[in-house]
Amino acid sequence: MPVTATHRAPFFDEAFLRRLEQLELASRRLTAGRMKGERRSTRRGQSVEFADYRNYSAGDDLRQLDWNAYARLEKLFVKLFVEEEDVTVHILVDASRSMDYGEPNKLEAARRAAAALGYLGLASMDRVSVAFLGDGTATAMRPMRGKRRALELFNFLSEPRTERLTGLAAAARAYAARMRGSGPMLLISDLMDPGYLDALRDLAGTRSQLSVLHLLAPDELEPEVPPDARLVDRETGHAVEVSGDDDLVDRYRARLVDWQAEISSFVARRGGAYVLVPSDLDLADLLFDVLRRRRIVE
Amino acid sequence: MIAPLALIGLISLPIIVAFYMLRLRRRDLPVGSTFLWQQLVRDVEANAPWQRLRFSWLLLVQLLIAAIVVGAATRPFSTAQSDLAANVVLIVDTSASMSTRTDDEDRAELARARARDVVERLPEGGRITVVAAADSATVMVSETHDTDAALEAIARIGPTQLEGDLTDAFALSSALAARDSDSTIVVVTDAAGDELPATGVGAPVLVERVGSTDANQAISALSALRRAGGAQLDLFVAVTNPSAADATRRLEIYADGALVDARELDIPAGQRSEALIGTVPAAAGTIEARLSGTDALAADDRAFAIVPAEQTTRALLVGDGSAYLENALALLPRLELYAVGEGGYADALDQADAAGTPYGLIVFDGIVPEDAPRLPALYVDPPSDGAFGSVDGREEAPAIDRPDPDEPLLRFVDLSSVHVGRARQVQLADGLRAVVTSTRGSPLVAAGDVGGSRLGLIGFDLDESDLPLQIAFPLLTSNLVDFLLPTAEGVLPSSMPLGASLAVNVDPSLERVVLSTSNGDRTTSAELPVVGGRVTLPAADAVGVRELRVADDDEDPERAGALLGSTAVNLFSSDESDIAPGDAERLVEMGRVTAGEERPAQTARAEWWWPLALAALALLAVEWLLFHRPTRRSLRRAFGRRPQPLGGRAP
Repeated sequence: MPVTATHRAPFFDEAFLRRLEQLELASRRLTAGRMKGERRSTRRGQSVEFADYRNYSAGDDLRQLDWNAYARLEKLFVKLFVEEEDVTVHILVDASRSMDYGEPNKLEAARRAAAALGYLGLASMDRVSVAFLGDGTATAMRPMRGKRRALELFNFLSEPRTERLTGLAAAARAYAARMRGSGPMLLISDLMDPGYLDALRDLAGTRSQLSVLHLLAPDELEPEVPPDARLVDRETGHAVEVSGDDDLVDRYRARLVDWQAEISSFVARRGGAYVLVPSDLDLADLLFDVLRRRRIVE
Repeated sequence: MIAPLALIGLISLPIIVAFYMLRLRRRDLPVGSTFLWQQLVRDVEANAPWQRLRFSWLLLVQLLIAAIVVGAATRPFSTAQSDLAANVVLIVDTSASMSTRTDDEDRAELARARARDVVERLPEGGRITVVAAADSATVMVSETHDTDAALEAIARIGPTQLEGDLTDAFALSSALAARDSDSTIVVVTDAAGDELPATGVGAPVLVERVGSTDANQAISALSALRRAGGAQLDLFVAVTNPSAADATRRLEIYADGALVDARELDIPAGQRSEALIGTVPAAAGTIEARLSGTDALAADDRAFAIVPAEQTTRALLVGDGSAYLENALALLPRLELYAVGEGGYADALDQADAAGTPYGLIVFDGIVPEDAPRLPALYVDPPSDGAFGSVDGREEAPAIDRPDPDEPLLRFVDLSSVHVGRARQVQLADGLRAVVTSTRGSPLVAAGDVGGSRLGLIGFDLDESDLPLQIAFPLLTSNLVDFLLPTAEGVLPSSMPLGASLAVNVDPSLERVVLSTSNGDRTTSAELPVVGGRVTLPAADAVGVRELRVADDDEDPERAGALLGSTAVNLFSSDESDIAPGDAERLVEMGRVTAGEERPAQTARAEWWWPLALAALALLAVEWLLFHRPTRRSLRRAFGRRPQPLGGRAP
């Protein structure tokens, strides 16, 4: 039976969910978790996967001594093992008014992408934390684990939500301050906020592995502007008068490319990844092709 | 430039720029965020009514268009040497042959184009007179410096169905040229036909010859005779082929609009074919002959004839009995012919008067009565003096001089192959005119009005000529009788030439009459006033049938709408039917020869506003493209491409 949201059309059908279970979110850094999961941890512990030796010191668990090495070398070594632990997957969805735009709607595309990525985390027995960023605050649901919580996840993502203002930096800072656990952090946003760099800086500073899914509508990538138009910002109501000729569109595209390069470079310097996602990109293509090639899922 | 005032239009340039600087009312377009746009247009001041002028291809193109249109409006020109004098008289031939039209040739349009070309070659400051010439000259515009007015006048010139005669136009040109020694006469003509103007001109003549085709056949004669007591008319039709190629044309005969006869006629090149048709019902009033199909000149493909009313006049033939003359007179349906010898002449007149049936025409064959009757009379081979004049011996083997082709008494009469053994040398009485003369000047045929009676004369014995053996004889006899008895067909003659006006007598009590002209397809009517019992009919300008009727609203209801007379108007002009372009040099030679004379060099003005206008049109197209050009995105849509996710590609 497909897992569905309560208020909206189903995010995915069962077949798609089964396909999703073949994937898992990649973790480039080894992280220390709180309980055993299906991921390797930087903490050496009690598992079957050998990691290294170190000299014995008083107080070490005698069961970890490598007696074979002692027999050969007459020195005491303690065997170190990689301990498999869980990670926390943070999925942040920008719910500002600028996201409630485009054909297909960017916020709807963000909800579906967040649902799919969240389901990946749940299916991998990772802790999944999902939050909407908007109005200077982060509205997060309680972290959850396991596929049985998928419905709860989908319901949360399906809630009607568009914030009046973005306040992306403040919302990101608020989330970073109270987040618990580290692991992959996926920010799905159009980043159309003056404080987008501050937001990225705060999120990257959490030692989580930040991936930015930069979601833009098709007409934000290739705008068609009438010769004499007054562009009205859905979020702020601010208007900009333009004369839509090819020269202007060329300059817009150049600015867009520069902006993407700036974000990509900023994120890359902090060990993160940047992916531009047109809102009309098919979700399956995003997950099984784009994100896979970018090693965000594997 | 001719119109420098048009430079005022340059004021449009700053106005266009001002429109670009003026802040326009813009259409609101909601977007997700203006985050990126703000960084692009930060220099826009939100509330100022004016904005900074920025480069725009559209603005550039519009400024160029405005500048070019203003430039064209000033009518710029360059100068070049001209072959024309400062005073030009442009004569455009509008005679019937100029209406020649085939798939490849529209002679009238060619003439207008040549005429326009002459105007464009006019020297700087030169003046021009435009004259349209058919059988007379019409000044379209006189001695103007305004080339636009000249071009408009040329546009109004169209061909007529009239015979061409440049005499009037040359006389007019001479008068104009006499006022300015530096004059040129330019004649735009096909130079078709043999007739030259009767007068030369005192200025050099340039001829712009137009036309090339000669493919034309024409109905050159049509005559209908009512045979006494017969059920059919005798119809005579001649079709001429002046072209250089043999032709076969289908001749159709219509009686009162109904087709009654049709036949194929083979007409050798440069000759004519004749047909005697006896199938037309005698009751017919109007006969139309038509060459079916088309040729280069349509005006001579139709001809009309009015059949004389069945009204007989008693005619008395006095003489020894000439079988030729008797037969020719007996053929005329309007005559009831009686014959008597010289001795019985006086008694015959008396008896007729006593019986109340007087004779209306006397024909004297070889005799001259002592007392000339006060009746219309035809004298044939008069041996002595009479009312017609005096006889002074004989002329042996007289050669027939070329007759006047417009002579109505010789209508359809071809005398080129007629020979006369000997003829009387006659001194004509006052009132008579020679219709046919010998090369020595003796009148062979004459007609006129003497002492209130119409007289005719044939100055030779018919037995000493081959005229009675030719078809010309009955036609000549018929024409002479028509002249001697003019009232037989009502107030109008049975035919009248194109371009001729006519004054006729009608009932003096009439105030108005209606003249209608019909060519079978179209009828036009005009009301004419009656002044002192006379009506002046305007010159006929088209082939057809003219009818004169009492006005429908005449005070006497019994005569309202009554037919007063009919007449046929036909082209019948060998000069116009021969449409082959002629020798232009003959006209050139009629001008003042300028060899050895040095005319001061003239400069012509070549206007070049039209390439500017073309450039403005091209720029308008560019402006349209710039305004409606497809965006790159719509092109990508059209070709199925979509934006690739940046950063989504594999490294």
